[in-house]
Amino acid sequence: MKTTKTIFQEGNHKWIAIVRDPEKPNYLIDTNEYLVTHGGQGLLIDPGGAEIFPAVFSALSSEFDPSALAGIFASHQDPDICSSLALWLEFNPKMRCHVSWLWGSFIPHFGGTAETFTMIPDEGSDLSLDGLMLRAVPAHYLHSSGNFNLYDKVAKVMFSGDIGAALLPPGEDSLFVENFDSHIRHAEGFHRRWMGSNEAKRRWCERVSQMEIDMLCPQHGAIYQGADVQRFINWFDELQVGIVSG
Amino acid sequence: MTTALTTISSKAPQAGVDLLRIVRINEEIKSVVGVAFKINIMALNAIFLAKRAGTAARGFGVLSNELRVFSQDLRDCMGALTGLIHGCVNEVSLVLQDIRHTRLLRQAAEMSPKSQAVPVLRAREIENDRHTQRLASLRKQLKRALEDAFQMVELGGVLAKSAKIEAAYGQSFAVPLAQVSGEFDNIVEEIRTSLESLRRSAFFTGN
Repeated sequence: MKTTKTIFQEGNHKWIAIVRDPEKPNYLIDTNEYLVTHGGQGLLIDPGGAEIFPAVFSALSSEFDPSALAGIFASHQDPDICSSLALWLEFNPKMRCHVSWLWGSFIPHFGGTAETFTMIPDEGSDLSLDGLMLRAVPAHYLHSSGNFNLYDKVAKVMFSGDIGAALLPPGEDSLFVENFDSHIRHAEGFHRRWMGSNEAKRRWCERVSQMEIDMLCPQHGAIYQGADVQRFINWFDELQVGIVSG
Repeated sequence: MTTALTTISSKAPQAGVDLLRIVRINEEIKSVVGVAFKINIMALNAIFLAKRAGTAARGFGVLSNELRVFSQDLRDCMGALTGLIHGCVNEVSLVLQDIRHTRLLRQAAEMSPKSQAVPVLRAREIENDRHTQRLASLRKQLKRALEDAFQMVELGGVLAKSAKIEAAYGQSFAVPLAQVSGEFDNIVEEIRTSLESLRRSAFFTGN
């Protein structure tokens, strides 16, 4: 079973990370899911693949009533992002899935109906969670061609999807980055290969540098907090991406 | 504990086997449909041949008309079988999807401290039962349609054999008439053998 860690709380406004399942088979990539709650509503960010649904569901339901989930935010179209969609919809068929317009007719292959999807335009949009405004921030080509991060201005938390992801070796499973220099080695190969455009990366770095971010939360690996957020942005800005070695 | 919790694991391999069996039945039916189309052309040729033979092949002419009606009925029957088999493939696919969803929901229910997954699992189980019942109904319909097709082909076999006898009275046309009625008989026998093996399919017998 996955564990839940509350990484931000202010009244009923919470960010909960759903992470690290020791029983997960090794052939499945490890993923982080995040739940944002505000008022009585919840938004599940990148809910994960169908095979890890039981682990995510059980962890989430220990903190929050799953039938009160108002929506799902899917950063992009990959199976580890939202192939569990049909299972979540069994709990609340009226739940909305917010996703790039580009994937609006692809993700329904995982489940849902025409009413399920709210298409996010390329320039991004605001999502309301019981009055809390969350911003879908464009991160196209990083790595998916229709890709969004999610920014919570109040919590100063940015869900960054695959940006900042690290494939951590066994034993290195702390929730937050503890030593940036040693951590970033596990992120380098991933970013060089998966991020497709230096131009897109440049624009993203410029955009997020201007935002107030206390925590940068990737879908794989550990969370960057405090000074490590800007450290990561600087590192990413310098990195040459879209490269296959060998 | 719901039935889904206890029986779903045993259903999974059965649904996979059923799907495989239905795919095989579908392939067999496709080949029978092809043969049935051939019969239609042959019956048309037999009618022309009987007309050319005139009064000497009057009996053969009557039978070839019957064979033409038979071939059209057979095509309709095969069309209905194809529709039913597609329905079965669709339902078994849904059952397979149900099994995966139920397995994951069951795990979620077992792992959840507050068992919020249990009502959803029950709703899923009702949906599973609906698909299973629909599959059982289609299976019965398909079995009946196969029996009807088999009876029809038995009649076709009688017609083909009678045509063979009538061909002997065809005087100077006796040889081509015998050849046509012989081909008819062979094809009807081919369809009969196919249908016979379909009737024995474990998809219907449940073995």
